[in-house]
Amino acid sequence: MLSKLVLRNVRRSLRDYAVYFITLTFGVCLFYTFNSLEGQSIMTLLGQHSRRGLVESIFILINVFSAFVSVVLAGLILYANQFLMKRRKRELGTYFLLGMDTGKVSRLLVGETLLIGLAALASGLALGLLCAWGLDKLTVAMFLAAPPDLFAFHVSWAAVGKTALYFGVIFLVVMLFTGVTVSRSNLIDLIRGERKNEEIAQRSLSLSVALFLLGCTCLGTAYAILLKRGLLAIDLLWFIMLGLGTLGTFLIFRSLSGFLLRLTRGHPSYYKGLNMFVLRQWSGKVHTNCLSNTVICILLLLAMGVTACSVGLNDTITSAVQSDSPFDLTLSSYAQALDFRPSDPNELFLPAGLDPEATFSRTESFLLRYNDREITGESGYLGVVSRSEYDAVMALRGEPRMTSPLPTAAPQSMANGLAPGKVLVVEDDVAERLDVSRQVINFTFRGEPYAADQAVRTALTEVARSTQLNLWGSFKLDDYFDQMGSKLLVLYMGLYLGLVFLVTAGAVLALQQLSQAADNAQRYELLSKLGAPLSMRRSALIRQVALAFLLPLALGIIHTFVGMRAANEIINLIGHVDSVHASLLTAGALLLIYGGYFLCTCLGAWRAVKGNV
Amino acid sequence: MEPILTVNGLEKTYGGKGTRTNALRGLDLKVFPGEFVGVMGPSGSGKTTFLNCISTIDTPTAGSITVDGTDLTKLRGKALSKFRRERLGFIFQDCNLLDTLTGLENIALALTIAGCDPRKVEPLAKEAARLLEVEDVLDKYPYQMSGGQQQRVAAARAMVTRPALVLADEPTGALDSKAAGLLLRQLDTLNREEGATILMVTHDAFTASWCRRILFLQDGRLYRELRREGRDRGEFFREILSVVSELGGEVSHAL
Repeated sequence: MLSKLVLRNVRRSLRDYAVYFITLTFGVCLFYTFNSLEGQSIMTLLGQHSRRGLVESIFILINVFSAFVSVVLAGLILYANQFLMKRRKRELGTYFLLGMDTGKVSRLLVGETLLIGLAALASGLALGLLCAWGLDKLTVAMFLAAPPDLFAFHVSWAAVGKTALYFGVIFLVVMLFTGVTVSRSNLIDLIRGERKNEEIAQRSLSLSVALFLLGCTCLGTAYAILLKRGLLAIDLLWFIMLGLGTLGTFLIFRSLSGFLLRLTRGHPSYYKGLNMFVLRQWSGKVHTNCLSNTVICILLLLAMGVTACSVGLNDTITSAVQSDSPFDLTLSSYAQALDFRPSDPNELFLPAGLDPEATFSRTESFLLRYNDREITGESGYLGVVSRSEYDAVMALRGEPRMTSPLPTAAPQSMANGLAPGKVLVVEDDVAERLDVSRQVINFTFRGEPYAADQAVRTALTEVARSTQLNLWGSFKLDDYFDQMGSKLLVLYMGLYLGLVFLVTAGAVLALQQLSQAADNAQRYELLSKLGAPLSMRRSALIRQVALAFLLPLALGIIHTFVGMRAANEIINLIGHVDSVHASLLTAGALLLIYGGYFLCTCLGAWRAVKGNV
Repeated sequence: MEPILTVNGLEKTYGGKGTRTNALRGLDLKVFPGEFVGVMGPSGSGKTTFLNCISTIDTPTAGSITVDGTDLTKLRGKALSKFRRERLGFIFQDCNLLDTLTGLENIALALTIAGCDPRKVEPLAKEAARLLEVEDVLDKYPYQMSGGQQQRVAAARAMVTRPALVLADEPTGALDSKAAGLLLRQLDTLNREEGATILMVTHDAFTASWCRRILFLQDGRLYRELRREGRDRGEFFREILSVVSELGGEVSHAL
């Protein structure tokens, strides 16, 4: 009997409390996706090529963030569960009234939680597998070079186990809470659960205006401190800035309804259609919800800020790779004696059986000499190259010849690691008097970069062994994989945290709106009795939900905008930020998750108030 | 004079095969403009079903209802909503004011739903409030008003759109006798001075004694009709009581 009741209740819950279920699913999905990175093919590849242990840092950070995320999700699930319990007070009261004892009711609820938890875990893991696969595919697509057989569908059992463990603990806590709540509840409170005592306090206009202005001042001060001092000057003033920002947000939410109401009242459109009703519906709630609105607003700020920053930083790193290592391979052949004879780059790889025609699309070679201040009269350069050699290299690249009076710094990058301005160009007769440091050969590969890179690497070992030359190769891919490591680190962490915050904000708002459904049902039924047609009621409901969703978002966007300006100054130290790209991606994520919750809420709320009249 | 409400052979059956319940079994009546009509009857006599049919909340199984020349049984969807908000006014037992709106806004709501010119809303709402003497609670929220004040605000909301017919379902049901008397006096004034047509369902003889004409329902049929015709309220009240006890005496019939 009990199990039958559990099953029936859960089936109903799945329909009625879709938001709860979706949130659980999202949580599990995100958790699995990022924890399963450890086994993903691209991470393995990075582990092989990256020199700086970046892959390890990614995993350590994911573990730290996962602990944090699980705390956030636990809070969210408890909050959601509390809402469900509140809505089911009447039902629980009936169980008690019919003579069920506390233990049995507790077991009923625990069974329900368990079943919903298992269902969410299953659907979340399924979705997580898909997302992990998508993320892997996306990551591979970001790589300029990767072995073609790299990509494979993969199930990380370690991550599945970890997800199950973390969420198992969360559900255990929820079940404990539920049990305690049930055993401590009074029958009379449960039966009268639907009665509510809501005071709609009328605040005077002057107080509202004063609070609103005070809130704006707090925010303005916080913004000014942030923009003036930057994001990372962490001291007492920084915490004051944070406190002022939070207080300002709170005050604005606290006073906005009274302020707006007074502003719009008396305006003709206040008395148009259901405008008055919608505004009152919203303002009645925005008072009681000002604290949670503040939290949601800050969550949105974190979500948008973190996502935008990580994507922006990511783009910065990509452009950095291009300028640091413009050539697929720069081979340095160091001079071992004073009478250094440069080798012919086309014959260099012949002993290893590599056909230069088929492997390289372009080969540039020049001699790099030691700079001697006595002779050139300049200092601070990594090396010196003669005018004729410089012109020859430029001719190969299709760049203009050197026309400035010499000596001067080379305006182009001469090789990997020889950035523009780091090499001095001198007249040929001056160069003759300088000692040769090494022969520098730049190769540009033909065909698929990863395969070519692997082939050349093998050949290079062979050449070094057979020719007795002192060779050292600087491969673009090595640099690239290092950079990709940091890039992925930033991107993954940003996405992980940003998405979790976004889901949290959306879920809290959705639950809040849906919890009002019972009250709303009565109000909308009355509207229907008064002759408001279906379309009018529907648009009123949508506008009501939209107001609840858009207000924290609007303030959150302003916060993010200011925060990003401060953050940009830090990112600018590293490089230029492609803010358009970052904004677009953030907007996309926002639209998908926040919009999804908005849609869910509209549908759920409408189903609750639609009625049958 | 043309009747404002004509009901012909009204029938309403609930349930399907086997579990048939006949709530209304062929009801005929006419209400003329400016009348104040009461509908009485014991529980299960079909009062509520009757009112639900007229207020277009429920659809009858057979028969026709014509209000002001419009056959309600032929209206569907949007036309029904339009008819409801333009031609009918409602006063419910549990006054049904919106707790988020002030008194003035509650009255104004009926106008804004009907698509009234926004600039005329406030003067019209204030005028209706003046008629029902609730001007002093216009800025208060429902929970700050007494039950009687709430019900009079609801009455003002029902009157403000100048409907062809005001339907009142047990309007004094939740009020104490003093507040009930005040509300009824006001409805009476509206009826006599403003010419409002009111159809009121009640089970309370005292409330019914304010009407000009009373229809008694039993088992879904018209049982009897009483007219006040200039008599004083006390006398009318006693006559109503005698009919009510007759109706209640049904049980002794069965014995």
